Amino acid sequence: MGIESLLLTTLRMSIPLVIAAMGGIFATRSGMMAMGLESMMLFGAFGAVWCSYLTGNVFLGFLTGVLFGMVFGLTYAVLTIRFQVNQVIGGIALNLFTVACTTVLMQFVWGNAGNSPAVNSLEGSVNIGILAEIPVIGPVLSGMSINFYIAILLIAATTFVMFHTCFGLRLRMIGENPTAASTLGIKVRGYKYLAMLICGALAGFAGAYLSIDQLNMFSKDMIAGKGYIVVVMLALGKYNPVGAALAALLFGFSDALQINLQQMFSVPAQLVQMLPYIVTILVITFAVRHVKGPAGTGKLPEE
Amino acid sequence: MNRLKQLKPNDILSSTAVKSVISLLIALLIGGVILGVSGYNPLSCYGAIVKGSLLSPSALINTLVQMTPLMFTGLAFAFSSKSGLINLGMEGQMFLGGLAAAVVGGLDLGLPMIIHLPLTILSGMLAGGLYGLLAGLLKAKFGASEFIVTLMLNYVATFLCSYLANGPLREEGSLMAQTKTVLPSAQLPELVGGKNLTIALILGILLCVGIHLFLNKMALGYEIRAVGRNQIASETAGININKVTLTTMFVSGAVAGLAGVSMSLSGNNRFVDGATAGYGFNGVAIASLASHNPLAVILSSFVFGALRTGSLALSMTQRIQPEFADMIQALVILFVAMPALLTGLKIRKRRAK
Repeated sequence: MGIESLLLTTLRMSIPLVIAAMGGIFATRSGMMAMGLESMMLFGAFGAVWCSYLTGNVFLGFLTGVLFGMVFGLTYAVLTIRFQVNQVIGGIALNLFTVACTTVLMQFVWGNAGNSPAVNSLEGSVNIGILAEIPVIGPVLSGMSINFYIAILLIAATTFVMFHTCFGLRLRMIGENPTAASTLGIKVRGYKYLAMLICGALAGFAGAYLSIDQLNMFSKDMIAGKGYIVVVMLALGKYNPVGAALAALLFGFSDALQINLQQMFSVPAQLVQMLPYIVTILVITFAVRHVKGPAGTGKLPEE
Repeated sequence: MNRLKQLKPNDILSSTAVKSVISLLIALLIGGVILGVSGYNPLSCYGAIVKGSLLSPSALINTLVQMTPLMFTGLAFAFSSKSGLINLGMEGQMFLGGLAAAVVGGLDLGLPMIIHLPLTILSGMLAGGLYGLLAGLLKAKFGASEFIVTLMLNYVATFLCSYLANGPLREEGSLMAQTKTVLPSAQLPELVGGKNLTIALILGILLCVGIHLFLNKMALGYEIRAVGRNQIASETAGININKVTLTTMFVSGAVAGLAGVSMSLSGNNRFVDGATAGYGFNGVAIASLASHNPLAVILSSFVFGALRTGSLALSMTQRIQPEFADMIQALVILFVAMPALLTGLKIRKRRAK
């Protein structure tokens, strides 16, 4: 298999994971578990295709994807903060809801519950000029869409906000000790809602990338566990933006490897498709044993 | 009598059964709103669901057929949550259980039914149980969070069974990804002729009662519940946490495996790729509605069996997907999981006074 194609697929597969992971960082650092990511991604993916189908405009599609993700980020926050639903159960129930709901909606909108028709999607890649001449890296980079650069910007922005601004400091404090933060007069619940809105926006963006950049349609349950994989990635990256991005590369690589193996050899598709999930199990079993999330995860200030 | 007199409205509101019923009603209400917004008449839709699931003998039998695997997956989730574990791998455990039963049931060993059928059932339970045990082992030995591991194992099992049913185990000349039919000596006897309703329903009800007795009357059952209530206190009291984790995951997986067995040994009498999809996750909703009580699982699997059957009937005439039932179930999980659902009502009442 060509190293260039493997590298290209790895990066392409990592982009949605990186974007969703940055959202997950905002959530986990504020003491919210990122269990609802899957539903935000799936609804974002659906919203993006729906809007692109109605308007034919890809940019509006991405915007709708972000909005739909935010709606579910907010829903998850209201459920777990206002109504005190257990974060794991709440996340799983939301994910089950979105899988069923998008299937029902697909039938309403397109009369087909399996997948949507092809819609306008983001095409072409960024012209990188002279850099394309560099061996190996050049051809790989010239195949990347604008979202690759947005993902890199997001890593930098998340690092900056989380570790160099007052907002980030407060968010991390809330995640570690909500009662202490509350004593200082920080509006803990407000910050948590805000963190979940950011998380939902980025997860919705990641979903939109999957449906109208990587593909040009929506299909049933198309996130297929990536939301949960991101949760494991966050732990592997020790809840740091750069660490999580590197972890995303590992999972992107296992996905790229499975796609390349399918194309190169006549291995049965189903057997290699297991690869990313097995990697996830191995990582959660052996690599993240001693990684602890913020101490105040799931806690609200005592009153 | 004295106790009855003291029963105030707020006490009734805190009962789990009332909470389950209220959750179900709110979920159905939201489902109705979604139907209404989409341009359907919610009342006529729900009418069609009730008619298609309860109001004729054949509809009722279909409900009981749907209820059978749901009872097993619901029981599996309820059992695991008794010890505080979240087994979300019912989907995969059920796939493997169904496939194992189809393979063993298809072996021509010349055995009489009285040996072949139990052997087939046990092999399905063993496959599901071992798959559950794998997650239990990773949890006990390495502390890997069982709900993420079981979720990932679902995907692995789905791909594995799909490969086997498309490849080595595929029936020769078949257009679909399915195994060959199991021998008559391994088919579950039918309760009603030609209707797919088998003795698995009775087995399931007996199993619910059995698990209820096990949890409440046996020492190991007590230990499982104790760990679920307070793990640190149980450990101090000398309960072996790892033993409880492994037992719980094995039994839970085996029960989920039975759901697959009940589907492979009835109807088409074979494993069809993808036929069991969805039943595993429905188990979470069934156990939630039953407040994780094994006896209540019987009733709540009947409710969701009816909802599933009715939604299937509805999808024949309207452009409403049977996944509508899954949507309602997800909402039920959410509302049952809300501690503030009923206390919210209480506080408001107190303020009104």
